[in-house]
Amino acid sequence: MTIQGEPLVRFDWIGNNLGLIGERLWEHIFLTVLAVGLGLAISFGLSLAIRWNGRLYLPITSIAGVLYTIPSLALFALLVPFTGLSILTAEIGLVSYTLLILTRNIVGGLEGVPADAREAAIGMGYTARQLLLRVELPLALPVIIAGVRVATVTTIGLVTVTALIGQGGLGQFILQGIQRFFYTPLVVGAVLSIALAIAADALLVGLQRAVAPWTAVKR
Amino acid sequence: MTRSDELLGRAKGGATVEFRQVSKHYARSANGQPIAAVRDLSLVVQPGEICVLVGPSGCGKTTSLKMVNRLIEPTSGQILIDGVDVMTVDPVALRRRIGYVIQQVGLFPHRTIAENIATVPELVGWPKAKIRARVDELIALVGLDPASYRDRYPSQLSGGERQRIGVARAMAIEPPLMLMDEPFGAVDPIVRERLQNEFLDLQRRLGLTVLFVTHDIDEAIKLGTRVAVFEQGGTIAQYSPPAELLMRPATDYVARFVGSDRALKRLAVMRLADLRLSPVSSAGEGPVFSAETNVRDALAALLLAPRAAGTVVDSSGVPIGVVTMETIASAVQPVAASLE
Ligand SMILES: Nc1ncnc2c1ncn2[C@@H]1O[C@H](COP(=O)(O)OP(=O)(O)O)[C@@H](O)[C@H]1O
Ligand SMILES: [Mg+2]
Repeated sequence: MTIQGEPLVRFDWIGNNLGLIGERLWEHIFLTVLAVGLGLAISFGLSLAIRWNGRLYLPITSIAGVLYTIPSLALFALLVPFTGLSILTAEIGLVSYTLLILTRNIVGGLEGVPADAREAAIGMGYTARQLLLRVELPLALPVIIAGVRVATVTTIGLVTVTALIGQGGLGQFILQGIQRFFYTPLVVGAVLSIALAIAADALLVGLQRAVAPWTAVKR
Repeated sequence: MTRSDELLGRAKGGATVEFRQVSKHYARSANGQPIAAVRDLSLVVQPGEICVLVGPSGCGKTTSLKMVNRLIEPTSGQILIDGVDVMTVDPVALRRRIGYVIQQVGLFPHRTIAENIATVPELVGWPKAKIRARVDELIALVGLDPASYRDRYPSQLSGGERQRIGVARAMAIEPPLMLMDEPFGAVDPIVRERLQNEFLDLQRRLGLTVLFVTHDIDEAIKLGTRVAVFEQGGTIAQYSPPAELLMRPATDYVARFVGSDRALKRLAVMRLADLRLSPVSSAGEGPVFSAETNVRDALAALLLAPRAAGTVVDSSGVPIGVVTMETIASAVQPVAASLE
């Protein structure tokens, strides 16, 4: 498969395409943030529904679980006849994949709130809303952010696949490189998407520590 | 002025609490009969009194307590605070005016000690400066150093320190009524004794009315103005001042619950330093004890000593008094009376 005389990375190509690389990187970040953001909002709604009635847990996580197991390429292919080669198609797929992880972690995080803290809060006169916002969510936040980390890293990987439907940020370089046996864009796309995943994860680890100072104290 | 402003709304002093034939059924048994957790409970707690609910685990103490601030609603009967039926008061407003210490302390792990104590003052909208001053005052009040404790998280405190902060948090707005569910349960006997003493001091100074739950008869005797002894099934076997309970147990159950070995149990958690010792005589009496020796061990040694008297010395070995059988007996006098 190697083409004679073709170097792995041609820096002149990189130099000539800096603008495009920046654009695709930005697009990649945008698609990821939008998907995780929407996924978080939907999962939060689903979690509140589950809290309101625990019997919803099984059906909701089962459906999210089925969505999660559909191969990504197949899911995008199924959507194209309905929503075309659009950002909508990409986002429907990407958001679907975040729901299982995020809903599980939000519900799990809220359930992990110590019962005594909850009871003390109610006993001292918190309303249901104050209980959620001031006690339960802050305490669940480390677990929720752990879910966001997994969802974000997964989504960054999946965005490269949406290149096949004409979206896909850095994935388009990878696709282009494969189609033309031209390594440079392939390497650029792969390396940058890996770097992006690592950076996003590190950022979220930092956030996790910052929002939960009580977990970091020396005993 | 709404109903809840009226209730417990005055500045100082304790509230009156009255249970009128209160029952609580959680569930029905297999044959459809309701199972009572609390049955036909009637009692009155006067302002400034500590009413202790004592009894074995599962006899309905916690349930009784939680019906006062409406965490649990009675199946029948009424609970009145200063003559107002709690069921007519908005539960959130009611709870903000009643200090509540739950069995497992329940400090918020994500908030510092200062933020924990500030919970109710913040809910009722005190200005920031007033809250800050009050927080420091309360930390000091429960015997800790504000400067070194206010910014810690609960995980950085010992069990006993957490219980103190739990009590401080419940007292933040000096509520006229406090509900305390085994508040000193998680600490060793020595610390417990000290917390009890500090709490008694505070309660008397502020004139609070307290409903106090414990399963420890010694604690009930020590703290209660009146003690309600609960029986399995949620009924009261006796509701009396402690001395009365010890001298005239109403039923066999109460006599057994109070226990014939109470005197010895109590001696085991007292130190010689807690006793009213006789003055040191020049002769230098019998065996020598450190002031930290527990009274039961000292009693055992005295039983073998030729003159039934011993010298108590402080940590530097200086004699501070003489302990005799009479010294010890007088320390447990109400108990001794019950054993006659
Ligand atoms: N939420 C509940 N649902 C059903 N039964 C309960 C509930 N809470 C307590 N009980 C039962 O009511 C009885 C009294 O419980 P509780 O008031 O907690 O006792 P105590 O505080 O004296 O140990 C026990 O038999 C307990 O199992
Ligand atoms: Mg209990």
